[in-house]
Order: sequence, then structure tokens, then C-alpha cells
Amino acid sequence: MKKLLFILMLASISLFASQANYEAKIYNAIFNALFPAKRTIYVWSDSKQKSDILRQISATQSVDSKEDADILLLSKTKNIDTKTMKFVTNYQLLKHYKKSAVGGFYWKKGRPNIIFLKKNLDKYHISLPQSMQEYVEDEL
Amino acid sequence: MKHLAKIYALFFISIGIAIGYLYISLTHTEDLLRTNINHLFISQAKEFASNIQHHLHQKIPQNLYTTIKNNPQLKTELERDISLLTTENFKYIYLLYKDKNNNYRYLLDGSEGEEKGELDEKLNVDKKVWNEVYETQMPKVFLQHKLENLWITYLEPVIYQNKTQAIIAIDFATTLPKEIQHATQPVEHIFIYIFIAIFIMLGILLYQTLLNFKSKRDSITDPLTQTYNRNYLRDLLQKIDISKYQIAMLDIDHFKVVNDTYGHKVGDFILSDVAAIIKKMIRSDDILIRFGGEEFLLFIHRESSKEMLATQIAQRIRRTIEQKTFTYDNNTLKITISMGITCSPQHFKTISDAIKHADEFLYIAKREGRNQVVSDTNIQTLSKKQLDTLSIDEIKDAIEENRLLCHYQAIFCTQTQKVLKYEALVRVINKDGSLIYPNQFLPSIVHTTLYNQMTKTVLEIVFAKIKKHKVAISVNLNFSDIINEAVFKLIIEELEKNKDIAPWLSIELLEYEVLEARDSFVNNIKIIQSYGVKISIDDFGAGFANYNVFQILKIDTIKIDGSLIKNIDTSETSYKIVKSIALLTHELGIETVAEFVHSLEVYKVVKELGITKVQGFYFAKPQENLLNGDKTP
Repeated sequence: MKKLLFILMLASISLFASQANYEAKIYNAIFNALFPAKRTIYVWSDSKQKSDILRQISATQSVDSKEDADILLLSKTKNIDTKTMKFVTNYQLLKHYKKSAVGGFYWKKGRPNIIFLKKNLDKYHISLPQSMQEYVEDEL
Repeated sequence: MKHLAKIYALFFISIGIAIGYLYISLTHTEDLLRTNINHLFISQAKEFASNIQHHLHQKIPQNLYTTIKNNPQLKTELERDISLLTTENFKYIYLLYKDKNNNYRYLLDGSEGEEKGELDEKLNVDKKVWNEVYETQMPKVFLQHKLENLWITYLEPVIYQNKTQAIIAIDFATTLPKEIQHATQPVEHIFIYIFIAIFIMLGILLYQTLLNFKSKRDSITDPLTQTYNRNYLRDLLQKIDISKYQIAMLDIDHFKVVNDTYGHKVGDFILSDVAAIIKKMIRSDDILIRFGGEEFLLFIHRESSKEMLATQIAQRIRRTIEQKTFTYDNNTLKITISMGITCSPQHFKTISDAIKHADEFLYIAKREGRNQVVSDTNIQTLSKKQLDTLSIDEIKDAIEENRLLCHYQAIFCTQTQKVLKYEALVRVINKDGSLIYPNQFLPSIVHTTLYNQMTKTVLEIVFAKIKKHKVAISVNLNFSDIINEAVFKLIIEELEKNKDIAPWLSIELLEYEVLEARDSFVNNIKIIQSYGVKISIDDFGAGFANYNVFQILKIDTIKIDGSLIKNIDTSETSYKIVKSIALLTHELGIETVAEFVHSLEVYKVVKELGITKVQGFYFAKPQENLLNGDKTP
């Protein structure tokens, strides 16, 4: 029984590791698309879990202060009013920041979902590469 | 050792097959379980989808999207109904529609909380599969390879007026197949380790085999010339069918001079170069062996024993080497080779005898001036012209065609003038009817199996004669015949067949040979004597007169060599030698025969010396028929 539990634990760790790894790759692709010219992208996040994921990406660096960040990765905070670029991690928050966030990435139905909001991308003069175009929405 | 290797190989293969079978069984069981789980899901998912379809068509007869969009109450009701179907395994049940941009958006969702999709919310799906369902209007099941939390998805189109309005999606999120996979993974890993271990062991086995092969090859290869060596020859002699080969012995002429003049490095260079030339000129079936020093042995393959290729190939090799200029460190050398060939090695008692025979002809080639090929057919042709001798094949034909016969020369008693016995002398009848004498065929076959056959035939002829005429007859044999296992065996066979008349037979042993294998010789003679056969020593006084023979054997008669008798009337030395022999034999109680008695004068001297038996042309020549009665000179 102990053996079986150990196997199941290992399996769940590897499952999580696999999904986190997958998520890190997606964030890497998103940030590279948003900041194609930057070698290091400074990211502020309100979620420890997301900060941990971002640590796996060599092109990003977590910062403690929102002012030092190139982009804010928001998972729960709703009252941020700053010109710094925002990117959210759930659909409800995206709806909340639909006028300022450039987009969001979240899991739904076990599937990764990426949405970029065209109007907000334009505000930051961001032109996404062709591979990201299918995720661009005019509005929510 | 070979059997052991086979057993090991069989053992490993059996283990490999057993493990392979177990591994396939395990993966097959795993697949079967997965298929059953899938089947369970699919059959239930179909039923759910069918119910949803039915429900939808009941509630919304047309304009699916518009009706839901404009009727939030109905949407909530429908979603509540759908949510009743969701379970831990049937995790997500929802409907998506396709917008004009080919994106899929929520229409209805049975999920709750964060997972719930809002109307028109986009969901990233595998468009290729979803589009297929949209267009073909056929349900589809697909495995979610890329998604960690889902196992399988069932899609079914919702069709209104033959147009796909939406797709019902049911996600099956069981961990069972993965759990099965995780549970069986350690076993699979064990199998993989076993396969790796077997692979490594096979690798080691292969490496060992290669090493063995290499060391075996090294042990049979001459490192300088890269030809086979004598180790290989030893093995070859055990297994070769010699009738399929002709044997050539070749030697580099004046090789010692090359070594002495230019040094051993140049000598080695010449050896390896000559070997390389020969290897290039022979066929894959031919076998080249460095016999020792500058001597090579070449087995030239032939399809049948009639094929005579050796001389042709040997001449070609000789010419090529003669024409080549060998250059080493600014030294230019011309080299020649000599070759001796045994054309029909199958006629020899052993292959070693055939090799010796080739070596003898190599010696002749050297003696005749080197840079030439001498084969036994050359010599036989030459000898035939000069001496009218027969070739091995001609003798073989003569034996097979019963063209052997015996002439009998009578031996007389000096006292009574009566015939005491006869000496059988073998002859071959030539195809033209002429007679061929032993000196014209015996030397060619003395080392071959034909000699054995001839001995057997002569014994058969002689016994037939004894049987018919009841007379004593002697036959000539060599000392070596008595110790030769095959010849001795056939003598005993003939004696066994003619036990009753065996005492009429005398064996005259030719005395010129040095006696080897004394014990075996004495034993065999005693066995022959046990049949009542008389033993004589022939040509006594001509060769190595070995008096020791009188100590070890009971000799009945000695025959004094003709060279001493024929001039006994004129040569004092011959007279004294014969006199001493006669005295000796008299003292030992051994009968004495004087051969070559060709005149009355010789006969008188012989008689005067007390020799009791005479043989010679003065009395009778050898002839096919026996003499009738007494003969008075």
C-alpha cells in the first residue's frame, strides 16, 4: 500500500511538474511576443505560484516593486491603477481589467487559454507575431 | 566448445523470447484495459449526448444560438440539466458554437465555479478535430495526448435543418489509465533493464566471439605474408576432400642469397610481396599456406579429379613473378620460383605423402635449374618416353580392368633338381597387350593406396594358383608393408580366407629397408607365421645386412642377392661373401637360395658352397604357367 501511495505521489509530482513546465513555456512565448526587443523582462506578480513558474524562464526576472516592472502579472489584485502593462491569469480578472490589460492566460476545461485584447495592445503599440494572432480578440 | 556456445546462444534466445513474450503480454493487457475503459466511457458519453440532443430539440426547435442568447432563463435551465450529468469522471459537458472567425465559443456549460464558461467566451480547442466534426456532422472520439488532466473527449454535432449549430463536448477525466500505466511502469522498467542487460550480454558475447575469431584467425595466419600457416594446414588435413585439389609446393629460388646479400628486411619484403602476387593470382577456393621459410604450399581447387589445372596456374604464377621487378630501398631484384606438383593426390595413402611427393618434384625442379614447374605428370610423361613406365592413372585402370597377372619363376633343389617352389612376380598387361615389369610401375605407386590394392590382388592370384596346383609360392613384400596397418590387415584377411592353403605361401621380405617399429614388425610377422606362412629374407647381402633379424624372428629362408651370385664364378669377393653367408645360414639352420644363377659355372660354384636351392635363368625364366615336373639344366 505504501508503495502504491509513493507511486501515486511521484505521479502527481511529475504531473504538476509537467503542467508547470508547460505553463512556463507558454508565459515565455507570451512575454517574448509582448517584448520582442527586451533581453530581460521584469515581471511583478501577486501570486507566489506564478512567481515560481516565472523563475523557470530565463528571459524574465521577478521584481518586488510594481514600479520596476515591465509588466504586472495579476492573479487576484483588482485595484491596480497604473500605466504599467497588465496581464492576468483568469477570465474574471480579464473582464475586470478589460480596458487596461493586454491579455490573459488561464486554464479552463483543462486546456490553456490565451486571449489578447486588441485595443489595449494598440495602446502599448504592440504588434504580435503571426503565431499569436489567432488569440487576439477585439473585445470581451 | 562449439556445442557449449550453441547451448549458451539457445539459452539466451529462449530467455529473450520468454521475456519478450511477457513484455508483449503486459503491454497487451494494458491496452486491453485502456480500450475497455474507453469503451465504457464512449458508450455512456453517446447516451448523454443523445439525451442532451433530444432535450435541446425539444426545448429549442430552431435558432439555437439566438434562442439561448435571448433567453437567459432557458440557458440557466438547460445548463442545470446538463450539470446533472457531470460526475467526477464525466468532468466537463458543454456546448460550443463556431463564430465567423472560426473560433469556438461557449453556448452552454454544465460546469460550475471557475471552470464555467460564459456565453460567447472563447475556448481554445483543437480546431482541426472540432472542424472535422462540424463539417462531417459525425461524432468523434479523440484522446487528449497533450492535456494532462483529461483522458478522452467525445464530440457530437448539434444539427438543425441539416446545419451544424453547435458541438456537444464531453470530457472524460479519469486517472485510471494513467494509474494503470504508473502501476505497470516499474514492471515495464524492469523489462527494459532486462532487455538492456540482455543486449549488453549479447554485446559482450559478440565481442568475445569477435575476439575468439580474431585470435583463431591470428593463430592460423602467418603474420608476415598474411597467408595460412602450418597450424591451419594441420586442421585442413583433417577435413579436406583431397580429390578436389591438386597440390603445388613452391619455393623462392636463391632466397638465402637474397637474405645474405640484402638483409632480412628485404627478404621479408620479398616473401610478403611474392605471397601477395600469388594470392592475387589464385581463386577464392584455392588455399595458400606458408609451409616454412620461403616455401609455400598451394592447394589448387578443381571440380573433379579429372580436371588438371595446377600446372597451368603454377606456370602463370611463375611467369608473373619472373617478370616482376622487386624494389626495396633503391635495391632492385629479380626473383624466380620453382614449383613441384602432385596432380593426383587422391591416390596417395595420406595427404602428407602427397605433399612429400610434391616436395620431391620441387626438388627436381630445383635440380633441373630452377625457375620451372615440374609436375608428376611431366615426369611420368618423360619417364614413359624413356622407360615406358605407367602413370598412376594407367596403373589404377589396369587394376580396375583386371590387367594384373603373375609370372612364376621356379626355385630348384640342387640335390634333386626338382622344383621346390615358385616366386610370384607381378606384371601389368598394357592396353596394347605388352607386359609391364614392376620397376616400371611400382615406384610410382609405392606411396599410394593403389599399392595396397595391388598387394591384395597379387595375394588373391597367388592363392588361387596354390589352390589349383598345390605348390609352394612366394610373394615379395616390403618390411614397411608388415607394419603398415592397411596392408597388414588385407594380408590377414587373405590368410583368413585361405587358412587351409596358407602354409604353401612364403613371404619374401625385401631386406634393403631399415627396420623401423621393430616390436610391431615382430608381432605382425609372428601373427602371419601362426598361419603356417614361411618367411624369407630377399636380396640378403645387398642392403643393410642386418643379422639382428635372425635374433628376433624365426626365418625359414634367406635369398642371397643376385648381385653377389651373378659373378660368383669370377669375383673372389663375391665368392667369399656368399661362402660366409652360406656358413652362417648353415649354422643357424636356415635354408639358402641363390638367385640369378644364369650359367652352369655359377651353378657349380653355388652347389659347391652347399647352397641347397637355386633360382635363375639357367634353370627357368619367370612364366605365366607353372613348370611340368622336374627340370634338368
